[in-house]
Amino acid sequence: MSSLGTAGTKRSARHLLKANAWFVFAFLYVPIVVLVVFSFNGSERVNVWQGLSARWYGEALGNTQVISALRVSLIVAVSSTIVSTVLGTAVALALDRYRFKGRRALDGTVYLPIVIPDITMAVMLLVFFAEAFKLIHTFGPRLTLGVTTVALSHIAFNISFVAVVVRARLDQFDRTLEEAARDLYATPWRTFRRVTLPLIAPGIAAGALLALTLSLDDVVISAFTAGPGATTLPVYVFSTIRQGVTPELNAISTLMLAASITLVVASLALQRPRSTTP
Amino acid sequence: MPPLRRAKPAAAQPTEAEPDAPASPTPTGPEAPASLTPAEVTAQRRRRRTGTLMATPGALYLLIFFVVPLGLITVYSFATRTSTGRTSLSGWNLNSYERIADDVIGGIIARSAWLAFLTTVLCLVAAYPFAYYLATRPPRLRARLLVLVMIPFWTNGLVRIFAIRFLLGSNGPASALSEAMGFGTFRILFTPTAVVLGMVYGFLTFMVLPLYVALERMDWRLVEAARDLYASGAKAFWRVTVPLTRSGIVAGCVLVFVPSFGSYVVPEILGGAKTLLIGSYVARQFQAARNWPLGAALSVLIIVAMLVAVAINQRNSANAERTQGVTR
Amino acid sequence: MSSAPPPDAGSSVPAVEMHGISKRFSDVVAVDGVDLQIGDGEFFALLGPSGCGKTTTLRMIAGLDIPSEGRLAIFGEEVASWPPDRRPVNTVFQAYALFPHMTVAQNIAFGLQMRGIRGPDADRQVAEATALVQLEGMEHRRPSQLSGGQQQRVALARALVNHPKVLLLDEPLGALDLKLRQEMQVELKALQREVGITFVFVTHDQEEALAMSDRVGVMSEGRLLQVGTPAEVYEHPASRFVADFIGRTNLLEGTTESPSAVRLDVGAVVTAANELDAGSPAALSVRPEQVRLHRRGEAPEGDPCLDGVITDATYLGHAFVYTVAVGRTVGAGGTSSGDRAATITARSETGSAALAAGEPVSVSWSPAATTVVAD
Repeated sequence: MSSLGTAGTKRSARHLLKANAWFVFAFLYVPIVVLVVFSFNGSERVNVWQGLSARWYGEALGNTQVISALRVSLIVAVSSTIVSTVLGTAVALALDRYRFKGRRALDGTVYLPIVIPDITMAVMLLVFFAEAFKLIHTFGPRLTLGVTTVALSHIAFNISFVAVVVRARLDQFDRTLEEAARDLYATPWRTFRRVTLPLIAPGIAAGALLALTLSLDDVVISAFTAGPGATTLPVYVFSTIRQGVTPELNAISTLMLAASITLVVASLALQRPRSTTP
Repeated sequence: MPPLRRAKPAAAQPTEAEPDAPASPTPTGPEAPASLTPAEVTAQRRRRRTGTLMATPGALYLLIFFVVPLGLITVYSFATRTSTGRTSLSGWNLNSYERIADDVIGGIIARSAWLAFLTTVLCLVAAYPFAYYLATRPPRLRARLLVLVMIPFWTNGLVRIFAIRFLLGSNGPASALSEAMGFGTFRILFTPTAVVLGMVYGFLTFMVLPLYVALERMDWRLVEAARDLYASGAKAFWRVTVPLTRSGIVAGCVLVFVPSFGSYVVPEILGGAKTLLIGSYVARQFQAARNWPLGAALSVLIIVAMLVAVAINQRNSANAERTQGVTR
Repeated sequence: MSSAPPPDAGSSVPAVEMHGISKRFSDVVAVDGVDLQIGDGEFFALLGPSGCGKTTTLRMIAGLDIPSEGRLAIFGEEVASWPPDRRPVNTVFQAYALFPHMTVAQNIAFGLQMRGIRGPDADRQVAEATALVQLEGMEHRRPSQLSGGQQQRVALARALVNHPKVLLLDEPLGALDLKLRQEMQVELKALQREVGITFVFVTHDQEEALAMSDRVGVMSEGRLLQVGTPAEVYEHPASRFVADFIGRTNLLEGTTESPSAVRLDVGAVVTAANELDAGSPAALSVRPEQVRLHRRGEAPEGDPCLDGVITDATYLGHAFVYTVAVGRTVGAGGTSSGDRAATITARSETGSAALAAGEPVSVSWSPAATTVVAD
C-alpha cells in the first residue's frame, strides 16, 4: 500500500526521488557532522587539523562566562518549563472540553506566539517591560531587566507550544473512558487523577520537553529581555560568533547540539504512538 | 444484593476477534437548548465555571505578556521620537509608517520579501520530492527516516546556523576543500546567497513536515484511478497529487515564509552590510539607532504580514478539509 | 400503544421508571416524551435503528446525560439530577471503554476502589467477578493484549463486581463477529439469570433483541413506539414502523372499512386479528412465513386470497423465498381487480414442490396471523 505512490512512477523518476532524498539528508547533516568533528580538533586555528583532542572542551568548561551563561540558561529553562507546562496543559484541557466566555478569543490567540517571528516578539516584550517598569516606578520600586524578565518572556511563548502539543494528545483521547470512570463511582476529580491524567501524561511530558528545548534554543527573545548578568548560553554564543569563529565555540556548540538531540530523542520516544484504546 | 455466583462453564471459549466497531458519536455538546431543567442548568454552570477556572491563569498570562505587548507596540508605532532618542507617547503621527515607503527602508523590506520568497521556493522544490519519497516508503523505514528529519527540526537553530558559518567561512572546511581541489577559496559568506542558504537550512524541515503529513494522508488509489483514466504519470501528479496536497503546500510555504521574512539570527551571522533585512533593521531601531516608533511600525508590518499568511493558511486548510471529505 | 406489564412486577417497585423523559441537544430532539417501566430482574431490550434515541435513553439512566424534561426513578428514588457516580447502576460501554493503562484486575477493581472497598475484601470480589466471566489467569494482562471477546468479558466483570441494581449494556455485542456474538447472546442471558440483576440492553439488531430479552421496547426518532414481549411485538406490531423493523413482513396498503376489515389497494377486503378506527389509511402486515402459496384456483375457501404471478424464486437451502406480483398487473388473467400493484414475499420450506418464476399462483393467509397497522 505504501509503495503504491511510486508504483506508477518511471524508473528514472524513482532514481531522481531517491537521489534528492539523499541530497536533502546530506544537506541537513553534513554541516552538523563537520562541526562536531572539528570541535575535537586540537589546533588553535579552526581550519588546520592537528589531531583529535578534547582540549577546547576543557577550555570552554573552564571559561567562567560560559559557565555563568549556562547557569542562567538552565534556571530560565527549568523555571519557564514548569510554569508553562502547568498553564499550557490547563489551557489545552479548557479549550478541548469546556465552553466558557472568551473561549474563541483564547483559541485564536494561543497559536500566535508560535507563528510570530522571534524579533517581533522580542521587541514587543522589550517595550512592554519598559512601560511596565515605568508604571511600577511611579509606585516606588525600581525594576530592571534580568533573569526574571527572560523567564517571564519564555513562559509567554512556551505556554502556546505546550498547549498545542497537549491538545493534539487530547484529540486522540477517548472520552468514553472518562464516562466509564464516572459510571464506576469516580468523582470528577478522581476521574481526572486516575484516568485522564495518566493517559495524557506522555503528551504533557512531550510538551514539557519541547518547552525545555525551545527555552534552551532561544536567542533573540532572551537577548532583548535580558539585562546585564542575565546572558544565556545561546546569547553568549551569538554575540561571540559575531566576533569570529573560535575552536572554543565549536566545542560549546557541539555540547549544545548533544543536549538538544538528547531532548529530541526523549521527546520522540514519548510521542511514539501507543494505542490509547484497547 | 445476591453475591455473584460462579457461572457454569459455557461452551463458548473466547476466540480471537478484533474490536473494530468504533464508538458511535454520542451527542455530548453542552449547548444551550431552548429550555433547561434545573439539573441541566446546574451541570452547565458547573462546567462553565470549571472551564473558566482552568483557562484563566494561562489566558491571563497570554493577555499580560502577549496581547498587551502587541497593543503597546502598535501604540508605539504612532508615537514620536524625541531628539535624544527617547519615545514620547504624545503627538501621535504616521511618520514611522510614511518612512516605510522611503528608498532605504522600502529597499530593505523589498529585499527581505524577495529573499524570503526565494527561500520558500527553494524549500518547496527540495522538500516536495523529499516528502514524496518519505511518504511512499514502507511504514517501518518511513518511521526511521522521519526520526532523521525530526532531529534537525528540533535541534538548536543557532548552533545549526553556526555550523553553516563555520563550514562556509573563508578559512573553513569548505573553502579548504575547494582550495585543495584547485578551485581556489570561495567567498559566499556575507552575501545574500549565504543568507538564503542559511534560511533554507534553518527552515527546510518546516516545509518537509506539513508536506509529509499531506502526502502520507493521501489516498494513492486516486492516482491509480487517474492512471486508469489515461493520465500519464506526470499528468496524474499535476492533476491529482498536487491539488490533493495543496493544504500541505500552503502550510509549508507559510511556515517558511513568515520566519524567513522576519529572520534576525541568520542574516546577523551569515549576512553582510549588503544584506540588511527587516528583522535586523527592527532590532537596530531598539538598540543603537534608538528609534522605537520606527521599529514598532516595522514590527506591526511584520505582524500584519504574518496575520495575512496565517489567514490564507486557515482558509486553505478549511477548504482542504472539505475536499478531503469528498475524496474519502 | 400496547404496553404489557413487566413480568414479576408484583407489588415490588420497578427497577427503572421514566415519565415524560425528553432530551434535547441544541435544536435536535434525541428523546421525546418516553414513558417506561422496567421491572426488577427483567432483561429489557431497547431496540431501534441508529439515531433513534435508544443510547441517549440508556445514558440518561446511567447519568451520563441529564434529561431535559421528565422524571426518572431507579427503584423508587428520583435520580434525574444525580451524577453518574452516585447512581446504583453500571454500564457496559459499546467499545467497552476499558482503561488501557490498567490491567484486567485493576480495571475490575476500579469501581470498588472508588467506593472505598480495598484490601482482601476487594481482592475476593475481583476474583469472584473474574471467575464469573471465566477470565482466570488473565488478571495481569492489559486490555490491548486481549481478544475482542475477552475485552467484552472484562467490561462485564468490571460492571458486575459492583452489584449494580441495574446493568446497562450499550450494544455490547456489536464489536464481535457473528459466531462469537451468537455464543455471547446465550451466555449473557444465562449470566443475567445467574446474578438476577435487571439488564437494560440497547441494540439495533432485532434478532438479538427478540432472542435475549423478556421484553422489548422499540424506539424510532426519539419516541418509544411499543413495549411488549418479543412475541407480542413480532406478532402484533402496533405500528407500521414496528411491523417493518421487526422481522420481515409484507405491508399491503389499504383503508379500513370497519374496525377489523381492510380494503386493500390490490383489490380485496380482508379481516385482521386486531381493530383500528374505520375509514383511515392503514396497512395489513402479513409475515412471509404466514403466506401460503397455491396453484391458481386451488386456494381453500374462507381465508383471504389474492391471485398473482411468481416473479422471483430464491433458494436459501432450508427454504424458498418467492416474490409474487399481485394486483393490477395480473388483473387480466386472475381475479384481482384492484387498481394498484404490489408484491408479496412468501417463504416455504424446501421439500414442498418448487415453483418457478412466471407461474400463476394464489396466495392466502389466516386472518388471525395478520395485523392492521396505522401509518
